[in-house]
Amino acid sequence: MEDYKYLFKIVLIGDAGVGKTCLVRRFTQGLFPPGQAATIGVDFMIKTVEINGERVKLQIWDTAGQEKFRSITQSYYRAANALILVYDVCSQATFDSLPQWISDIESFAKHKVLAYLVGNKIDQINSKEVPTYIGKQWADRFEMRFLETSAKDAENVDILFYDIAVELTKDAREKDKLESDCSGFNISPNTKTINRCTACFKF
Amino acid sequence: MSGCCGCCAALKPRYKRLVDNIFPVNPEDGLVKNNMDKLTFYALSAPEKLDRIGQYLAQRLSRDVQRHRYGMVVIAMDALDQLLVSCHDYSLNLFVESFLKMVQKLLECDEVELQILATSSFIKFANIEEVTPSYHRRYDFFISKFSSMCHSNNNDETRKARIRTAGLKGLQGVVRKTVSDDLQVNIWEPIHMDKIVPSLLYNMHDQGFVPVDLDNHRNEEAPAFVAETVFRDLVCRASFGNIKSVLKPVLVHIDNHQLWCQATLQFVVKCFKIIMFSVQQQYAYIVIQVLMSHLDSHVRSSPDIKSSIVDVLFECVLIAAGGSIGPSVLDVFNNLVRHLRISLDSKSTDIEKRNMEKKFEEAIISTIGEFANNLPDYQKIEIMMFIMAKFPQFTSEEEFGGRMDAQLQTMLLKTLLKVATKYKTVSMANAFPPEFLHPLLRMSLLDDPGMRIIVQQILHTLIDRNDNTPKFKHVVITKDISKLGLKLQKSARQDSLFMKKNGSEFYGCLLENMQMDSNKVDNFEALYCTMALICVEMGCTEILLELIRFALELQNIAINKLSLPLTHKCAIHALTAGFFNFLAQLADVKSLVTYVSGVIEIRRQEASHLLPEVAFNRANKPSSSGTLDGSYPEVETLKDTWLFQQSQIAEILTELGHDVSRLSKPFTYRAFSSLLESDAGSSSDIQSIYLDMESKESSPVVARKRAEEVITVESLKKMLAEDSTLERDEEERRRKEILQTFQTAPFEEIVARSESKSNHFHNKLNEILELVSKHPDSPGSLRKTNRTTVPVFDIQFPELYVY
Repeated sequence: MEDYKYLFKIVLIGDAGVGKTCLVRRFTQGLFPPGQAATIGVDFMIKTVEINGERVKLQIWDTAGQEKFRSITQSYYRAANALILVYDVCSQATFDSLPQWISDIESFAKHKVLAYLVGNKIDQINSKEVPTYIGKQWADRFEMRFLETSAKDAENVDILFYDIAVELTKDAREKDKLESDCSGFNISPNTKTINRCTACFKF
Repeated sequence: MSGCCGCCAALKPRYKRLVDNIFPVNPEDGLVKNNMDKLTFYALSAPEKLDRIGQYLAQRLSRDVQRHRYGMVVIAMDALDQLLVSCHDYSLNLFVESFLKMVQKLLECDEVELQILATSSFIKFANIEEVTPSYHRRYDFFISKFSSMCHSNNNDETRKARIRTAGLKGLQGVVRKTVSDDLQVNIWEPIHMDKIVPSLLYNMHDQGFVPVDLDNHRNEEAPAFVAETVFRDLVCRASFGNIKSVLKPVLVHIDNHQLWCQATLQFVVKCFKIIMFSVQQQYAYIVIQVLMSHLDSHVRSSPDIKSSIVDVLFECVLIAAGGSIGPSVLDVFNNLVRHLRISLDSKSTDIEKRNMEKKFEEAIISTIGEFANNLPDYQKIEIMMFIMAKFPQFTSEEEFGGRMDAQLQTMLLKTLLKVATKYKTVSMANAFPPEFLHPLLRMSLLDDPGMRIIVQQILHTLIDRNDNTPKFKHVVITKDISKLGLKLQKSARQDSLFMKKNGSEFYGCLLENMQMDSNKVDNFEALYCTMALICVEMGCTEILLELIRFALELQNIAINKLSLPLTHKCAIHALTAGFFNFLAQLADVKSLVTYVSGVIEIRRQEASHLLPEVAFNRANKPSSSGTLDGSYPEVETLKDTWLFQQSQIAEILTELGHDVSRLSKPFTYRAFSSLLESDAGSSSDIQSIYLDMESKESSPVVARKRAEEVITVESLKKMLAEDSTLERDEEERRRKEILQTFQTAPFEEIVARSESKSNHFHNKLNEILELVSKHPDSPGSLRKTNRTTVPVFDIQFPELYVY
């Protein structure tokens, strides 16, 4: 009766005013709200997408960038399947604070969480301060995926979320498969005790 | 659609048909009452079908949500609520899963109204008491979502308030549901508390947090009000292990939102008041502990933050009262005193900043006072002794090595005073145990006149049982003391006993205080106050003789101590006059009153500078050229008629049947100041033992007069020639004198006497040894032996050897 196969939680983080809320709005509602007010605490959106014929539900938690909400937003990291760390390509300052964000991720998020570094606002070509290759380098260094987007022009926004959905689905499938393999072993009438043990070790 | 359903109806299972029937054709018609009753009845009679019913309802609901048929959604939720309420407890479990799924579904959709609807359903569910345990129910999503709703930023103000209120109530529901059930998720885990607590606080503080007006019903739905209620609810559910998990996010939130500043301090205080009032009494001290450690973590923060924390601490202590201290009493005080010290050690030069630091220091002191207030009395004395131990002069504590900052001393004294004011004296012996009294009296002789005043104030508050202190603030000659409106109490016998035992220490200390060159008018006034209080509290009739003796000695000081400036002498004379006047009236000795007022009258006419009106007139300042104001005489003269004559007083007292023999004895007292110095080298605890060492030194002065006789041939001849009876008589007389001295004089006085003698001896000895060791021609070998002997004569003998 479920109307989706997998459910993933995605959390957006990054300095205030880099366009996190706009990215989410663009993706979930297909619109770009001009003059978006600063997010308070945490905002929540949901979107169901289809990946390889399977419905995947994405719970998107859009956190406030302001320092004063840090403690509440950090509490959302742990549950996240994927983290999107956003900076503003037109603002070196938002890029400079990335190390702080990385260390936050390390201390609060799950180990080996899927992390994405996103440089937003590439529509403002003239005032770009952080070159693409720098962002890329940085993402590579911390084993993150990298993408530059524009919430305004809807550039790369869908790609970003779909990519995450695909990746997470792949992981989830592998896990499922492992589990079903494992249970297959157990059900098999020929299985001996020793087999079960090896299966467990493998798992 | 309905037609299709109709034709398939026969093929559907019964529960599906029943469910379908509750939905009207037209959503506006609402739930079909009759059919709903049927469904309920069916569910009750066949509870095993409940999970199927739930699943089917959920299915329908999610379909309706997708098709945006919100009317139907509302009806479905209504049906769910009714089923929930009417179901029996044991069957509920089967149903809950699909119910929660539906709530989640609604919370996930964008429609605000549906979210609110879902929340209210959830709250209804939360209010149902479940007996059967349920194993895997996850509330993570609900906590996350409700917290998110608490931070709603909807453009429409009323909507925003509704969403937030819903979120807050939802959180309350989750807490209620989970807190009592061990099998449920542990709501106290930081991952949840970090969401719940900031959400509550944010709403409590948002929109200028107005104090809730209980009469106003409209207010009750306001997020701030709801948040407060939920917060109270949360705190009062917290147990010993969990209270910290609530407090930590509170403090982090306050830090993050920078609420420690003055403008928002009121809110923080309010928050902590809520906590203190809601928390289970026996855990109140944990709150205080946590605040203390938070203060520790802010050691390097700006003083205004620290003083805000201490202010909050103060408020908490007020509320927690007896429960504020917890198991480690001294720890609390030690910690606060440490902060006081840190603040003073790192005081800044910037005036504005310094002012803030001062505020912080004051806040600490009053908090210490408040802590002490909650202790039983005997512990207050302990605490005072503990604080006193922080003075380097009185201890060999390594931690406080080196000279202490004068400001810190003042602060510590103020702290002491604060604690002392909280102490309610019942009996003097309890208020002044010797191990407390001695250091306190010694402290009264500190170099700084300002500090001395504080020590006197400590004495005032401890001695004064009837709030008479304000009446003795100034030295005046009152014609009729009954006008002062003194509150008198028959003094207990044990107090006069206490005075008999410790009186000489008090007097000695006061006398020495009088002689301090650095005394100011305030000092004299404070001393006068102490004296007057002693009269009032210790029962002046019993110790009248001692007091008079003391007063006469005071006069002697003014006469004999030539090094004192004229103003000081006048002040002492005036003080003596004031004291005599007061004492005579208080003791109600008519003849003495007449005599005293006679002397005062003479002074008034001939030597007004010896009366308080002039001597304690602050307007009288020595002019710049060094000469004194006109009211002081140019030449120092003293006429006998201006003074209180011992012989005349003795006469008066004899008439009244007092034994005045002791009046003529000179008043000896232990020199506290000398103790002060010698004590620094004394490693032994001065309070621990009062050993009476048998030695030649312990015999009184008169006993050793014979040694002074010079032995020559002449004298020997004389001795042979002379009749020895005279000599024998003389000896007899001396013996009697000694005997009498020992029989009548109080122990302390004898000690003092012998001590002054032995101190002299000790000094002489030191001098001689000094000479020996510095001998210039001493050869190498001698020097070597010298070095080995150094410890012998360098030892400062602890004071106990002098007895």
